[in-house]
Amino acid sequence: MKKAAVSLILILAGCALLMAAAAAQEDMVVVDPGPFENPQRPPSTFRHEEHNLAADIWECNVCHHVYDEEGNLLDDESSEDMRCVDCHFLEDTGTQPGLMKAFHLNCKGCHIKEAKGPVMCGECHRWRQPAADGPGAG
Amino acid sequence: MHSVYSFVTGPMVWVAFGVFVAGCLFRLVVLLSQVSRKEPFIFSYMNLKWSLRSIGHWIVPFATVNWRRHPVLTVVTFVFHICLFLVPIFLLSHIVLVDEAWSISWAALPDGLADALTLTVIACCLFFLVRRIRSPEVKFVTYPSDYVILAIVAAPFVTGFLAYHQWFGYPVMFILHVIAGEIMLIAIPFTRLSHMLFAVFTRAYMGSEFGGVRKAKDW
Repeated sequence: MKKAAVSLILILAGCALLMAAAAAQEDMVVVDPGPFENPQRPPSTFRHEEHNLAADIWECNVCHHVYDEEGNLLDDESSEDMRCVDCHFLEDTGTQPGLMKAFHLNCKGCHIKEAKGPVMCGECHRWRQPAADGPGAG
Repeated sequence: MHSVYSFVTGPMVWVAFGVFVAGCLFRLVVLLSQVSRKEPFIFSYMNLKWSLRSIGHWIVPFATVNWRRHPVLTVVTFVFHICLFLVPIFLLSHIVLVDEAWSISWAALPDGLADALTLTVIACCLFFLVRRIRSPEVKFVTYPSDYVILAIVAAPFVTGFLAYHQWFGYPVMFILHVIAGEIMLIAIPFTRLSHMLFAVFTRAYMGSEFGGVRKAKDW
């Protein structure tokens, strides 16, 4: 009985965490600038759920990728449970881009390839947020 | 807008830098071959010591009589030329783009400082414009093309300033900024902006003639 209660609490706590994470993603309006020491531009506009709906992205690892030690992309692994800065430090390490470059290459690289979404500095790093518009607008 | 962005930040950059470098080399080769064909005796009195003495004086603010006679112009000229190179080369957003393309980067100016220096360049351009219109001795040697050249120089800074602040039609301003920079690069070898290449030769020639032939100061 006691075991069952502990399991139930753990399951509920797990659900609560997942829901909190999902809610956080829904609320997300900018990329977290926390790791940057002295950011020169406003944080990048990014609405996670809206973006993925508009971009028709259903796999986490399209963005939350994992590379092995040799630099090969691991197709069936994803890293959405990690922070980007856990791998992408502020500076480049070897061939691994630093955090800012990783964001730029990941976001802008895909936008250029797909010819959709923002590619110019101020399309993401906006001094004034418009009242309501979708990701990639502007 | 993606295709325009890709074009002006891709092939057009190569074209602009290609024309700039090749154009500069071409102008220098033509200059030296023309001198050696028409007035080869100039080479007989070209002298490194007198050349460097002249360049040294003219590259330092207030080190020549002419700089001292026009103190405002002197300050504006030096501030303008320093900022003209400092801002684009050490601008964070330019370095970020180079870094993304080639993984090469260097120290950047804080954006706030770069913004102030950009305004400084624009203010200097306005000074040069007013001087061209108001000062009789400058007006006398001014061609309509000089106003176009001034506009070509000011344009990357004006559009860059507006794009940075995202005040008017951002994406269009960004594209205009890139094109303005490319036009300026292409214009350097083929307009009066070529003084970027030739100033050092002109000074060396003047310095050598004054030092070696006239035995006089050219400052």
